[in-house]
Amino acid sequence: MSLPQDVKNSLANYKHNSLFWTDLLYLMSNRQQSLAATGPFRKFAINVKNLSTETIEMNEDMTEFNTRLSAYYKQLTDTWNEAQKEYSRKVPELPNDSEHMEASKRVWIDIYENYFTRLFDSADFAENFGKLVTSELEIAKHWNNMASTLLESANMPTKKEMDEVYKELHSLRKRVAKLEKIANKGGT
Amino acid sequence: MANEIKLDPRLLAEFIKLNKNILDAPNLAQSLEEIDLEVTPHEVVYSEGKIRLLHFNPLVAKQIKTPLVIAYALVNRFHILDINQKKSWVRNLLNQGIDVYLIDWGTPTQINRHEGFDDYVNGYMDNIIDFVRKESSSQKVSLQGYCTGGTLSTVYSALHPDKVQNLILTAPVIDGRRDSTVVSNLAKHMDVDKLVDTLGNMPPELMYYVFSILKPFEQGFEKYLNFFKNIHDKEYVENFIRVEKWVSDTPPIPGELYRQWIKDVYQENLLINNNMYVGGKQVSLKNIAMPLLTQVAVGDHLVSPECSMPIHYAVSSQDKTLKIYPTGHVGMIASSFSQKKVLPEFSQWLTERSEK
Repeated sequence: MSLPQDVKNSLANYKHNSLFWTDLLYLMSNRQQSLAATGPFRKFAINVKNLSTETIEMNEDMTEFNTRLSAYYKQLTDTWNEAQKEYSRKVPELPNDSEHMEASKRVWIDIYENYFTRLFDSADFAENFGKLVTSELEIAKHWNNMASTLLESANMPTKKEMDEVYKELHSLRKRVAKLEKIANKGGT
Repeated sequence: MANEIKLDPRLLAEFIKLNKNILDAPNLAQSLEEIDLEVTPHEVVYSEGKIRLLHFNPLVAKQIKTPLVIAYALVNRFHILDINQKKSWVRNLLNQGIDVYLIDWGTPTQINRHEGFDDYVNGYMDNIIDFVRKESSSQKVSLQGYCTGGTLSTVYSALHPDKVQNLILTAPVIDGRRDSTVVSNLAKHMDVDKLVDTLGNMPPELMYYVFSILKPFEQGFEKYLNFFKNIHDKEYVENFIRVEKWVSDTPPIPGELYRQWIKDVYQENLLINNNMYVGGKQVSLKNIAMPLLTQVAVGDHLVSPECSMPIHYAVSSQDKTLKIYPTGHVGMIASSFSQKKVLPEFSQWLTERSEK
C-alpha cells in the first residue's frame, strides 16, 4: 500500500522548498548567528538544520503511518460490524429474561471472540500490523535523531554514544567471565 | 403504547446490583501495590546483574537429593508459579520433597540490550546451574523450562547435556512454523531488526498489546464483569488482584535475545532443524539424551501444542514422555486442574528419575 504518485510529488516538492529556504536562511543568517550564539547555543545554532530535516522526513513517515493506522481501524471496524450482524441475527432467538442473561452474554462473547480471533489469525492483519509498527519505528528513529541533536548541542551523551558504552560493557563482561572461568580451572 | 419495550424487572435488579458492586469495589479489593507476590519462604542464593536465583525453604523433612531448577518464561515474571497457596506450583513440589530453585530473570533495561541467547544460556543459566550443583553437592540437576524458558532450557540441555539429569519442558516454544497462535502470526510478519535497532529492547507495551488481542472479549470484558459480580467473595477477589498484578508486570526482553528468538524460532525455524547457533556452537537437539518430559495443553493460545510437541520426536532420549492436558497455557501451571492432575504426574515422573 504505497502513496499515490501525485502525493509523493507534492511531498517531494514541499521537502525541497523547505530545505532550500532553511539552507538559504541558514547561510544568510550564519554570521549574525555566530555573533549572537555562544557556548552550547553556538552548537545548537549549527545543528538546528538537522531538526527541520528530521521534522520534514518525519512528516513523510507520518503519512505512511496514518495509512496503516486507517487500514488497522478499518479491519477492526469491519470485523466488529460482521460480528454485530451475526449477533443481531441471533438476538430474536434469545429469551429476554434474567435466567438466560448469562447464556445471551456467552453467545455475544463467543460470536465476537470468533470473528476477532479469525481476524488476528489472518495474514492480512499481521502484514498490516507489521507495517504499522515499522512505520511507527521510522517515526521513532526521527524522534531519536532529534533528541540526539539536542543532547549533542548541550554536550550530553547521545543515545548512539550510550549504546556504544553498553556494547563495550557487554563485551567486557563477557571477557571477564571467560577469564574468570579459565582462572578458576587453573588453566592458561 | 404499541412500541413499549418489555424488560424483565429482574434484569434491572441485576444491573442495579452490579452498579452497587462497582461502587463497593475500592473498599473490598486491595490495590496492586499492597500485594506481595513473593510469599513462599525462600532465600536469594545467587544473583548476577538483574537476575536472581531463589531457593525455596523445604516444607517436608524427606528430601529428594537431585535439585530442580525452574527457568520461567522471559515474558511476565515467575510469580504465577506461586500465585497463591492453593494453586502454587512451587509449594506443591516442596510438599513432595523436591528441592526447588527458581530463576528470576528480573527486569532488563537498555544496558542489557546486547544480551542474547549466548549470555542467557552459556552465561546466566550455566553459572546458576554450576552454583546449584556445587551447593547441593549434585553432579547434575533436573531442569524445568516453561514457555520461552522451555526454549532456553532446550538450548541449554543440548549444549550442556552433562549437567542435566532430567529435562521437563512445559509448553516450550520449539517449532515456530507449526505454531498456529496469534503470537506466531504477528512474530512472522515483524521487522525485528528495525525494532531492535531502533528501540533496543522489546518494549513491554508491545507485548501487552499482543496479549490483549489473544482473547479480547473474554479477557478484556467478561473477566472484569465477573470480578465486579464476585466482589463480595474475598478469596475470588484476592486471587483476581494477584493474577492482575502478575499480568501487568511485563518486563522488556533484551534486544539481541528477542532478535534471535523471533528469527531463529518463528521466522526461520532453525531450532527444530538443528541449525540454530548459540555462542558459536550449533544447537543439535540430538544431544538431548537425558529423560525428557514434555507437557502441552490443548487449549494453549500462546504456544500451540503443535509448536511444542516436535521436541518429543527430535531428541535422542530413550526415556521420554509426552503429556497432553485439556487446559490452557496458564491453566497448566496455576489452576486446580494443575494441582490435581499435572503436578502429581510431574512429581511422580521426577521422583522416579532423581537421586533420593
